[in-house]
Amino acid sequence: MTTAPIEAPKTTAPVVASVRDLRVHFKTKAGIVQAVDGVDFDVRDGETLGLVGETGCGKSVTARSFLRLVPMPPGIAVSGSIMFRPRMRCSSCDGAGCSICGNTGRVVSICPACSGAGCDTCEQTGAETVDLLTVPERELRAIRGNRIAMIFQDPGKALNPALTIGKQVAEVFYAHRSDELLTSAGIDPASESLQNYVLRRRASQESRTPENLVLSLPPLRTRRNAISAAADAMVAAALNETQIPNPRAVMDRYPHELSGGMKQRVMIAQALACDPDLLIADEPTTALDVTVQARIIELINELQERHKTAVVYISHDLSLVRKVADRTAVMYAGRIVEVGESDQIFHDPEHPYTRGLIDAIPGASHERGRLAAIEGTVPELIDPEPSCRFSGRCAYAEQVCRSEDPQLEPIDHRQVACFIHHPPDHGVAPTFARTEQ
Amino acid sequence: MLPFLIIGVSIIVFGLTRIGGSPVAIYLSHEMSSEEVAEIEARYHLDEPVPVQYAYWARGLLQGDLGWSGVAAAPVTEVFPDKLAATMELAVASAIVAVSLGIGLGTYAGARRNKLPDHLTRIVSISGAAMPLFWFAIVMLIVFWVYLGWFPIGRSTPEVFASISHPTGLYTVDALVSGSFTAFRDAIWHLVLPALTLGYGATAIIARMMRSSLVEELQEEYVDAARAKGLAERLVLRRHARRNALMPTVTVIGLSFGFLLQGTIVAEIIFRWPGLGRWMADSVLRGDRATIMAYVLFTSVLFLIVNLVVDVVYAYLDRRVVLGS
Amino acid sequence: MSATSASQPAVGAANESALRVRIRRMRELAANVLANPTTLAGLVVIVGMVGMALLAPWIVEPNSPNASQMPRDWGAIAVPPGSPGHLLGTTNTGGDVLYGVIWGARTSLRLSLIVVTITVAVGVAVGSLAGFRGGRVDEVLMRIVDVFLSIPELIFALAIAAVLGPSFRNIILALAIVFWVKYARIMRAQVMHVKQNEYVDAARVIGDSNWNIYRRDVLPNSITPVVVQATLDMGNIVLVGATLSFIGLAEAGLAEWGVLVSEGQSGISGGRWWASTFPGLMVFLWALAFNLLGDGIRDVLDPKTETR
Repeated sequence: MTTAPIEAPKTTAPVVASVRDLRVHFKTKAGIVQAVDGVDFDVRDGETLGLVGETGCGKSVTARSFLRLVPMPPGIAVSGSIMFRPRMRCSSCDGAGCSICGNTGRVVSICPACSGAGCDTCEQTGAETVDLLTVPERELRAIRGNRIAMIFQDPGKALNPALTIGKQVAEVFYAHRSDELLTSAGIDPASESLQNYVLRRRASQESRTPENLVLSLPPLRTRRNAISAAADAMVAAALNETQIPNPRAVMDRYPHELSGGMKQRVMIAQALACDPDLLIADEPTTALDVTVQARIIELINELQERHKTAVVYISHDLSLVRKVADRTAVMYAGRIVEVGESDQIFHDPEHPYTRGLIDAIPGASHERGRLAAIEGTVPELIDPEPSCRFSGRCAYAEQVCRSEDPQLEPIDHRQVACFIHHPPDHGVAPTFARTEQ
Repeated sequence: MLPFLIIGVSIIVFGLTRIGGSPVAIYLSHEMSSEEVAEIEARYHLDEPVPVQYAYWARGLLQGDLGWSGVAAAPVTEVFPDKLAATMELAVASAIVAVSLGIGLGTYAGARRNKLPDHLTRIVSISGAAMPLFWFAIVMLIVFWVYLGWFPIGRSTPEVFASISHPTGLYTVDALVSGSFTAFRDAIWHLVLPALTLGYGATAIIARMMRSSLVEELQEEYVDAARAKGLAERLVLRRHARRNALMPTVTVIGLSFGFLLQGTIVAEIIFRWPGLGRWMADSVLRGDRATIMAYVLFTSVLFLIVNLVVDVVYAYLDRRVVLGS
Repeated sequence: MSATSASQPAVGAANESALRVRIRRMRELAANVLANPTTLAGLVVIVGMVGMALLAPWIVEPNSPNASQMPRDWGAIAVPPGSPGHLLGTTNTGGDVLYGVIWGARTSLRLSLIVVTITVAVGVAVGSLAGFRGGRVDEVLMRIVDVFLSIPELIFALAIAAVLGPSFRNIILALAIVFWVKYARIMRAQVMHVKQNEYVDAARVIGDSNWNIYRRDVLPNSITPVVVQATLDMGNIVLVGATLSFIGLAEAGLAEWGVLVSEGQSGISGGRWWASTFPGLMVFLWALAFNLLGDGIRDVLDPKTETR
């Protein structure tokens, strides 16, 4: 689907999220594991960025850091920043899409500190910018599920087995669209009466047991049911968008009654329900059958086109990512080693690791025989010495590779972290011309 | 399976009645003449082989003849209901304490794993399993009744108790029915100390299970997924993690019932509660085998039924989840 | 067959190192178990109590003529702790609480050792028989076990001791009758489990007898759960036994913790707390210590079950 060269506008589209020098450390019995060790990349508005790497390279941890979902024991230290520029609903078209918002339904939010003029808080962009790693809990909650959404690898595990689909998906609406719920139920969200106060709390899921008891009494009961009905309608609409047949029936089912593909559709529906600016997809098809995989990927692509959502697509499956992502970042042992447009990376990989990965893909055209695996294993990430993490397995490594960290530097339209492309200040620079081994 | 077990238990109980005294003594209510004794012996075929005796004994049971209680100086069946009501009241109150405290404490600790509340809860849990009830009850009495004087001993204040009618035999219920607040307060006030004491052991087991279940659930992916939706932590805990953690806890709640049941014997002795437990304790000391027989039968059947109910409830709850994970 | 204590058949080198391996594993196990502070605490308390039990005749002057009866000091009735000659005070009938506490450890040790030994022996035998024979024998035996398990333990023991007549010996008997079933279940499960393993079939094919299979394969694997249960029972038996004594099924005046607590009960309303509190505390500590140790062993051998 995306074999045509990437159009220029996308590469210069505004950045919706920017990861800067992200480091995440975990405390284990063996020592402090530096699972993510200086990761930098940008996610541009509306693009799909693939994040590729083998198991244990830190891509999941990176993904979870966006929403601060890394458990803090055993995680002990997080440094760096993830700058995020949220959008808000375009008021002129009310989210439908118009010329003002470039048909996305969303416009850039103005930086409150400088009212769009440009200041330090917004890094001179004028757009509201927050650091996801340090933003206060309450604001983070407003972002989660709303401006940034996440879908998980195993939908069977990511859905609560004890709740119906309807109840679970409705939670996003209660959390982020409570005003709409109230309006749809015929209640004025701005009204200050006591009744309305209780109803408002109900719509935002803050009611405690005594309030719930009061709400079950006849006068307020109808209103409460109206809110539920409004939520159900919104859930049905969301499920419909992901082509789930008979949404109303599905809403009454429990997760275990659905197939893997259906469950993932539910997850996607839930994630896109509030029209987020960024979707983090953590290996969304790994747990699914191959035939279902293709459909789900199609679905994600479609929805992404429609909502113009930026997507960070995480996977260990290269061939998959190539089909899905506009740009790809390759990760190894906690670091990004190469970033660039997907097609370029696959046709002409710069980093030795990327080369190895692509060589290792068994293709129909390859002769039968040995698979081209990369020698060696991923290094231990406990208190590593400065060195290129891949040097132990690299066929081209020189002394300098084992004693210094290569930085991610631009080359052509990409970035690579390798001394082959960015010779070090001193020492012998490695090259691709290696005769033996 | 259940009927078989009940029959098995009845055989054991029957066996117990044949040891330790003459079989006919169970039915003797006073100094009976030799004709009366002979008549009873004939009725229960006590001269015939043991299996036949069993059959007649069992028939006698089903017909409502549980023998004469020397301790209570009345037929067992006559005295049983009132004492049962008293014990049930205590057991239910203890169960309420145990379940609510246990779940609450377990949740609180599980959500704060390895922090202070968790460690304190662990101490409570471990001590609860090893706690000799008779000692704990005495200590509670000493502290709360002798020294602090906050709570009374016994089931009721005699004048207050006598002032209302007792349709159900349950003091609290009867007080409410009669509309007497004084009586209700009297009932509750007498219940607090024994219920807390008796419930302690069960609280410990339940809290421990709840805590470990919750810790396990909190590691599941759907909890992170719920957080990723922007839900408040309190909601994530309550609606997602805790709801799933409650399931294994239900079985423990059933288990702790057995705990409670056995505890009533000692608790009633120490708190001077006029229920089945104290009656049994007195019977044990005075060789009132009719009561012992009835008590063992009753508690075993109850125990079996409760276990069955727990299994059914668990199967019902589990049905929804069994295919999911 | 040579009758060496280490039961090494004459096959030689291979089996010898198997034994060494086993010893080494035991050492590792012990180290792991003791690494847990609560478990270690439990073990320390147990050692203390057992020491107290064994050294009792040297710690306090044994009562004559019967050391296991409480000594009465009629000149010092219901005196509080710290009174001369009565470190922990006396009961309403002049019984020395300290004597009861220390000698009670001896009584409890005797009780738990005897009962645990009997129950383990009987339970293991019955369970193994049921597991190996299978079929009718298994059904009948397990049905009996199920029936026994239907009656709550304390109540069952209470009823048995009651009809047999109040005496400490009958308490021991009653507890033995009630508590053997768990071991039967454990052993049967172990035997069943091993039977399903293919290597047992292989052993049979080469003509190995049931007894050998049992000895070599079943027993070593089943030691674990049996040991865990036995440790927990050492604590539990004393707990239930003390409860039975408290209710009144032991001889009056016995130097046993439960009896003492009962004796001290009459003094409570008058504020004389010591006669019941100290012996009861001992029961608690004893049960707690064995519980901690048993849990600790279980955690090391079967870490998944963090429950109960």
